Amino acid sequence: MSATRPITLLIAALGGEGGGVLTGWIVSAAEAAGFPVQSTSIPGVAQRTGATTYYIEIFPEPATALNGKRPVLALTPGIGDIDVVVASELLEAGRTVLNGFVTPDRTHVIASLSRFFTMDEKTAMGDGRYDDDKLTKLIREQSRDALLFDMTRIASENGAMVNAVMLGAIAGSDRLPISIEQFLTAIGGGGKAGEANRRGFQAGLATAQAQAEAGKAVAVKKSAAPTLASLEQQAASAYPGIAQPIVIEGVRRLVPYQSVAYAQLYLYRLKPIADADRESGAQGALLKEVARHLAVRMSYEDVVRVAQEKISPERMARIARDELRVKGEPYSVHDFLKPGIEELCQLLPPFIARPILNLAERKGWLGRLYFGMEINSTSVSGYLRFLVLAKLRAIRPYGYRYAQEQAQIESWLALIAEASKRSSALALEIAECARLIKGYGDTHTRGLSNYGKIEAGLIRPAIAGRMPVDRAIDAIASARTAALVDPDGESLAKCLADSGAVAEAA
Amino acid sequence: MERSFKKEVEALKLGNGETFHGEGILAVTKALLQSGVSYVGGYQGAPVSHLLDVLVDAEGIMAELGVHLETCSNEASAAAMLGASINYPLRGAVTWKSIVGTNVAADALSNLSSPGVIGGAMIILGEDYGEGASVIQERSYAFALKSSMWLLDPRPDLPTIVRMVEKGFELSEASHAPVMLDLRIRACHVTGQFDAKDNRKGQVSGLNRLHGPPRFNYARLAHPPVIYAQEKLKVEQRLPAARAFIRENTLNQTIDGDLTDIGIIAMGGLTNSVLRGLERMGLADVFGASRVPLHVLNVAYPLVPEDIREFCASKRAVLVVEEGHPDYVEQAVNVELRRADIQTKVYGKGLLPQGGEYTSEVLLGGLAGFLQATRPNGVDADALAEKASGIVARKAATAQAIGTALPVRPPTFCTGCPERPVFSAIKLMQREIGPTHISADIGCHAFATFQPFSFGNSILGYGMSLASAAAVGPNMDRRPIAIMGDGGFWHNGLITGVASNLFNKGDGVLVVMQNGYTSATGLQYMPSSKTSRSGVPPGMDIEQTLRSMGVKWMRKVRTYSVAKMAMTLKDAMKSAERGLKVIIADGECQLARQRRVRAEDAVKLERGERVTRTRYGVDDAICTGDHSCIRLSGCPSLTVKPSPDPLRTDPVASVVESCVGCGLCGEVAHAAVLCPSFYRAEIVRNATWWDRALFRIRQTVIGWLGGYNGAATA
Repeated sequence: MSATRPITLLIAALGGEGGGVLTGWIVSAAEAAGFPVQSTSIPGVAQRTGATTYYIEIFPEPATALNGKRPVLALTPGIGDIDVVVASELLEAGRTVLNGFVTPDRTHVIASLSRFFTMDEKTAMGDGRYDDDKLTKLIREQSRDALLFDMTRIASENGAMVNAVMLGAIAGSDRLPISIEQFLTAIGGGGKAGEANRRGFQAGLATAQAQAEAGKAVAVKKSAAPTLASLEQQAASAYPGIAQPIVIEGVRRLVPYQSVAYAQLYLYRLKPIADADRESGAQGALLKEVARHLAVRMSYEDVVRVAQEKISPERMARIARDELRVKGEPYSVHDFLKPGIEELCQLLPPFIARPILNLAERKGWLGRLYFGMEINSTSVSGYLRFLVLAKLRAIRPYGYRYAQEQAQIESWLALIAEASKRSSALALEIAECARLIKGYGDTHTRGLSNYGKIEAGLIRPAIAGRMPVDRAIDAIASARTAALVDPDGESLAKCLADSGAVAEAA
Repeated sequence: MERSFKKEVEALKLGNGETFHGEGILAVTKALLQSGVSYVGGYQGAPVSHLLDVLVDAEGIMAELGVHLETCSNEASAAAMLGASINYPLRGAVTWKSIVGTNVAADALSNLSSPGVIGGAMIILGEDYGEGASVIQERSYAFALKSSMWLLDPRPDLPTIVRMVEKGFELSEASHAPVMLDLRIRACHVTGQFDAKDNRKGQVSGLNRLHGPPRFNYARLAHPPVIYAQEKLKVEQRLPAARAFIRENTLNQTIDGDLTDIGIIAMGGLTNSVLRGLERMGLADVFGASRVPLHVLNVAYPLVPEDIREFCASKRAVLVVEEGHPDYVEQAVNVELRRADIQTKVYGKGLLPQGGEYTSEVLLGGLAGFLQATRPNGVDADALAEKASGIVARKAATAQAIGTALPVRPPTFCTGCPERPVFSAIKLMQREIGPTHISADIGCHAFATFQPFSFGNSILGYGMSLASAAAVGPNMDRRPIAIMGDGGFWHNGLITGVASNLFNKGDGVLVVMQNGYTSATGLQYMPSSKTSRSGVPPGMDIEQTLRSMGVKWMRKVRTYSVAKMAMTLKDAMKSAERGLKVIIADGECQLARQRRVRAEDAVKLERGERVTRTRYGVDDAICTGDHSCIRLSGCPSLTVKPSPDPLRTDPVASVVESCVGCGLCGEVAHAAVLCPSFYRAEIVRNATWWDRALFRIRQTVIGWLGGYNGAATA
């Protein structure tokens, strides 16, 4: 019985990425090389961005040398029987491993590090992304070897589709008995598409050959806003340790957000936390988290902040340069705003805002009455509108929202300081709860209400000693996760009930 | 159509001495032409959409051969078309997705197979079973059994598939029964090659027409009293004739092996997988020589009793490998052996699973089990079983290694899909008036059953949504909403749903997604498409049709207007007026639109005409990472990315390059009052002098005011 076996290749891709075309290239390259080859696929409706696979078998002996015999090639991939796995996306590469197709004795994995997030990952109210490191670790552990790089990035840098880069990577990996020329011939074709494909192929090839594992693009940190150097210095010297960069970042944010004095308030508020951190032996972890959340909370999203961001020169430059790729052509940017009564009252003094809001509540206008507008921020009148709103920064501290926010912040900080006397871990959990309060309109209201439930049901009882600290720590952490599971609050309610939270009235 | 086959069509012209390279479904098309068909038709659906698409693109060749092509309005009309072969020596073939299409066609099929045919009649079934399938999992086998149609299940390699098509027509004519050719998903898409033959013109065709009908012959009707005689004909004449033909032409194949006291009876379609399993156990070679004898059933129905007896007689045990439930072949083999009093033990379901696809590892497990049960001489069955269970255990081991399950990735609405906004609107409407019963249907809109919508309480088949809500409405406080695509509307929904509802003075809300194509199956034209394969508009209109049927409450809403759609839905739900309320959700399929618009824009750009490109974006400094927008929109181009803000850990929303600028995210942000982070950016190519002047003035003034004046990019 013949010792030669087919080389098996499993391609995992998403619908619409050209996996079928890639399969076609490999098949015609193998045919050109004279080998018996067969491919199958299960496209169906998966072509609509669903996960799908293609399967290829190549018999690595020329058909002419087989004396008319034809190898029987299989239609389905077999566990433990796959030589090469190619994936255009990291999670899909991981899926082939979990389906058993990647085995340490023989499978070479050629996969992209790029992620195309699934709906479940995207719809999470916090961070629902699957852990990339877990996936790469799994792939490396379970495969014979793995060639991983960001194929999507390379494709976009070269103006090519990802399938061409994948083909290049396959060619460069040297796992198939097919020459680079044969692959190139398979891509064939002139025209713009052919050129783009060849560019993508060469880029994939070069990367694979270099075996260079390009790390993922590091998120570009925003350039520091102009700020008072003295304040930064003060922050740096007052808060050494792991919290330092966060505190400096906070100062940098709050000066343009409001004023130098406001940033000083930030530093002042951190002082008791720094003390609590030291006393509870948190080694800077508590201070760091509080500093992070406090800066975000103090720069709460109001009309002034939105207006500032909308007309910031960096923003317009980014849109023109990165998104529209403007080369001298006219362009425009239109913003969608839909403030409600609450937003309009934000900047009014509390004694005026309250009666209006009360009236609105009675009349049922809250959450119903909005003023929709679409503003061309690149027109003079649109720009001016935002500019005026941004200039209202000066009156912000006298406004209703400011008073409300500061009160909530003070209360939260007090809870943290109080809790740190019992346990730094408990304090840290309370600090993390700030994560729930974010967004605009409904989202913001929902976050506040969720926080309120956790505060009343878990935090206060824990501080008052009515709940064992260890249990409270776990309960707060799971309640926070539950609050971010569904917008209807079902998970949170269930979680609070399960953890024996004290009824809200308590 | 989504895919053009202009290139592949060339392969249909190949003749004697040339080699065909390509996909299984194309090979079938070529085999039809080599068999001299006079007419072809069908209804699209994976995995046989391509067969029809290819035929549409091949109209030139078809005209040369005088072949009539009909893109039928549903499978029943396709099946009825085979009626042409009852009276006339016309070979014809139709195709559809099974099991669903066969269900729809069942009435015509029964009435076809009772009188029988004189011209070869073939049905190409795309057996949508197993991984990648999109319909309920049932076997088409039952239809073959009950209607006495023959079922071919060829080995999935092109020469066999092509031979079975050609022989299938002969079989149909020799036995006067329709023949079904069953192709699984992977077989439809398998690539390979075969030696082509010249195409044949039909004996009678568009080029050589009949001069009139034959003399009146009552026996050709499916009508009493001849139906009683026809039933007898099926079993007394057609079945024996078919068996004789199968045996004479060796349509089934026997592979000898040295382990003569055991054997495997496998469906043709599963044979390659069985051989690979044996090869992995060292019991076969890669060229298909096996130590375990195999009887390959390229004809799954009818079985040939002599063949079965001959294969089993000298064996202690055989394993029947057939996919799905019930185990028709295993039962039939048992009966044959019992009748012949042959004591061979029959294994099948039990060693192999009752239901589900026979994947590589499932077969490996079944084969190992069979060897353990029979212990053939010189084979270490236990060692093989251990190896097989090690392979099967691999999945569990990796699952344990990673700990948490991977998120699923079902298909979803395309970027810019006009149907998705309707579900955003339903979500908003439900926020106000509470949850409603939603009867879902078949089509792209069924993707709304997945995240982030999770809409749909039932799916009863193509075009059945309204009918399936008929008994829900009268028993529920709130009106049910039925979702139906325009494809489903013309396929079935018009009569089954709308006519029945109006006839019964029903209530309820029907949303018809008017996108202009049967999009899920690959963008085929249908009766209300703006154009057709001939370029002439079919001229049928859903709104007019419904008006003439007597629908009073009807609104046509552009799907992207989310706020208006939500309002209209609310009106329909709350209106005091009784009766069917129809909302026509109007928006062209974006896949089709993009293909057209991109080409048009490219031409305009070339000609120097003004072209605006629109895309949407999210300000990551304003986005707080709550993802409400994603939960309402579900667009593939609206995704998340790490927050560039060092103070925030939750990822922010982001619009990626693939955005087509449909505007839904802006609409949703507006309608749902989400957040101010969305913006629309437009760039004008080949701008007019006025565009340029205005832009320059604006930039200058904004520059004076301290804003961005384009200095960095100018």
